[in-house]
Amino acid sequence: MKKIMERVMNNVSDLKADGDLILSTAKSLKMSSQNGSISEYKVSSSQILGVRIIKDGAVGISYTEALDDDSLKFMVKQALENAQANEPNPLEKILDISGAVSDEASYPESATDIKLKTQKALELESEVKARDPRVVAVPYNSYSENEYMSHYLSSKGRSTTYSDKIYSITSSALLDDKGKKANYYDYHIAHTFADLQWNKVVENSLFHARNILEEKALPTGKYHVRFSPDSLKSLIECFSNFYSAKSAMDKVNPWANNLGAQVISKDISIVDGPDYAQSFRISKFDSEGVLQKPLTIVGDGVLQSFLHNSVTANYFKTQTTGHASRGASSSLNVSGTHFLIQGKNQKPLPPKYMEVIQMDGLHSGANRVTGNFSVAVKGYLWENGQKTMTFGNITLSGNLMELLKNVEVVGDKVEASTDLSFFSVPLVFNELSIAGA
Amino acid sequence: MQLLQSFIAQDIIAHGLSMGADFVDVFIEKTQNEGFVFKNSRAEDTQSGIVFGIGIRLIYGKQALYGYTNSTDREELLRITTLLGARIGKENKTVAPINFEKLVYPKIPTVIDREVDAKYKLSFLKKIDEQLRSDQKVSQVMLNYSRKNQHVEIYNSEGLIATEVRPYIRLFHQVVMKDGNLQTEASFGPGAIGGWEFMEGLDTNEICETLLKQANTTLYAAPCPAGKMPVVIDNAFGGVIFHEACGHLLETTSVEKKASVFWDKMGEKIAHSALSAVDDGTIAGSWGSLSIDDEGMPTQRTSLIENGILKRFIVDRLGETKTGHKRTGSGRRQSYKFAPASRMRNTFIEKGPHDLSDLILSVPNGLYAKKMGGGSVDPSTGQFNFSVQEAYLIKDGKITTPVKGATLIGTGPEVMTKISMVGKNLELMAGMCGSVSGSIPTTVGQPCIKVDEILVGGQA
Repeated sequence: MKKIMERVMNNVSDLKADGDLILSTAKSLKMSSQNGSISEYKVSSSQILGVRIIKDGAVGISYTEALDDDSLKFMVKQALENAQANEPNPLEKILDISGAVSDEASYPESATDIKLKTQKALELESEVKARDPRVVAVPYNSYSENEYMSHYLSSKGRSTTYSDKIYSITSSALLDDKGKKANYYDYHIAHTFADLQWNKVVENSLFHARNILEEKALPTGKYHVRFSPDSLKSLIECFSNFYSAKSAMDKVNPWANNLGAQVISKDISIVDGPDYAQSFRISKFDSEGVLQKPLTIVGDGVLQSFLHNSVTANYFKTQTTGHASRGASSSLNVSGTHFLIQGKNQKPLPPKYMEVIQMDGLHSGANRVTGNFSVAVKGYLWENGQKTMTFGNITLSGNLMELLKNVEVVGDKVEASTDLSFFSVPLVFNELSIAGA
Repeated sequence: MQLLQSFIAQDIIAHGLSMGADFVDVFIEKTQNEGFVFKNSRAEDTQSGIVFGIGIRLIYGKQALYGYTNSTDREELLRITTLLGARIGKENKTVAPINFEKLVYPKIPTVIDREVDAKYKLSFLKKIDEQLRSDQKVSQVMLNYSRKNQHVEIYNSEGLIATEVRPYIRLFHQVVMKDGNLQTEASFGPGAIGGWEFMEGLDTNEICETLLKQANTTLYAAPCPAGKMPVVIDNAFGGVIFHEACGHLLETTSVEKKASVFWDKMGEKIAHSALSAVDDGTIAGSWGSLSIDDEGMPTQRTSLIENGILKRFIVDRLGETKTGHKRTGSGRRQSYKFAPASRMRNTFIEKGPHDLSDLILSVPNGLYAKKMGGGSVDPSTGQFNFSVQEAYLIKDGKITTPVKGATLIGTGPEVMTKISMVGKNLELMAGMCGSVSGSIPTTVGQPCIKVDEILVGGQA
């Protein structure tokens, strides 16, 4: 692979151009079951090589999944043609850093027999069915393992290698009780087979599906809301343009002119923590080969920094924060790593609040430019420390900017999302609009 | 151009059958992608690339095993086949040689009249950008042009060889408007099976006017009131409500697992008698059309619901095996990385007898959803949600104040029985649909419809 990349880079150099390459390879196995037998069994091996060429200041991108000589030459030719079609962009340059760095995963694990994997995959369905006679199907269930490797090479001599292995399991429970249906799914990810929490996904799916069977609509009105870590992550990540210098550059970031200003409650800080201790492992460097380090985006409610790559840093006349993101087939962007919401001035929980455990429709029900959102939600109503009902068939509406201003910290123990990429102290958001009964 | 030498396909299939498979197919794909993002009044991102790979599927009874690779190497392809077959572990058997016969099928007419170079395309986008920026409140314009030439080749153990080249073209327009602290956006994404002539045929003046009008309306709109009310949903992308609330529930991918509320409702009344709906893969030039599906079956027009009665499901090969319902040429996938599954094509509610004004007049107090956004559904419970991009209140049978932030939620079976009036103004609209076999081009559509009652989420 290294030789292929060096050969392509030589082709780029022959054009008297700068450039960088990303080569990604993956191997995967996935199994799902239905009615007691494996209904889906999928194996794969794949690769993709992408090139970004900068010629006379203009950028062109091309990629190929075929790595024979002809395809590689065609890819470079296409990238050059794409660059020639573009106007020069003085902001986009290959970063002048060199040296090789590697971050390859190594986990202590003994080889697991395929028979055991198959048996456990089958149990993601059978265990759910065995534990409740009202289960009519387990519509989502799967075991999968994925091995990734990604290589980066730039014309300035920077090279990085990252590899990882991820196991994941999903289960669900579709219950039917006298014609009333409820469905819930849960998943878990780990770096080793031994660390997978099989019982947790089965139990969580059943627990919430049983409760959802009893769901009722809350009366229309204003409520205090506490989001589960997964729901809060979805909401915060949906509006990732708020923290992005790229979005600010593209004039689709409502916080674009607010650096140094208080944008949210002074009790809250938002930190991007690539090496946060409890997080799931990610690469130590970004897609331009820059080493990543923690960054305070919002400190005590004041917007301190956006996430930058080298292009946005040039635009805003600052330094890259190491948040460049680019796949083999895509252009340079920015993205966060692990988000951590920290809080102070802890208050007691309000006597009555909604706990949102499921949020549907955020992809279409959120306006990333204005911060407005309106989504379908399910969860539990808490009154005086007791869970008093399960709610559903209602919508929750609000505006992220207003929501983050009108929030209270109600605990100090950091809670994690299921994929261990998002962490937050417990928060309660005040007076959100609910449309229901 | 042949994507894989026939003898290799023959060897893979023979090897799969020798390992006891009841059916084997090989799907080869070579797709050329091209895309421009025109932003900040300049071409910001120009890219192109080749997607190439081979998917191998072995079916044992009702069980499907799937593998894929980028390699055309015979040994690697046989290795993957072995890996799949070993999962079942049946005894090896002798297999007679397979003689392939090329499938001859009616091709959907597609016009690709001329190729134009990148500079010409960019100048076309520049004109649209200038037109949209004629309103001083526009703070950003994003035009995303994409072209995809998907060449597929399918072999199977029944002796079929089928090939198709599908040229997809789309231009997604997005405009951001700002006035003081107020901000809004409007978007429109027409697409087709075709070539540059589709772009030349777009009425860019009308598109720009409509987008600016929509943005100007929603910029100053009041928050939408919340609660249950009658809703008139206008044509074209309004069809997303049928796509999500009913279409996904008719795919055998959900039906076969009993993970659809309609799984046992064939022949029963599942919708108001005013409603008939089809899934049609044969419409010339339409974004969701195919001459053959990704299992090599000629596509067809499938009548799903007639006057409220459920007539057909959307069925792929495995769906037929599992449910007994006949295939409808609906086995689709994003790419070779996905096994095919039953998926929608061009899915729409058929024309009814009414004018839009009839529907509005019938509502004393409700919502007019002129333009829908996206949505999603849980097929197992039928619960859906949709956003509304442009909406107005209806008072005493008249369209009045514009409102923003509306969401519609409900369940498929319930809303289907509440569509009581259907208009004449049927229109289709391109979209992307994400599901078990990836993200695929589908068309939604409908004439205007009236839903007697639905829960509207809003902030007021």
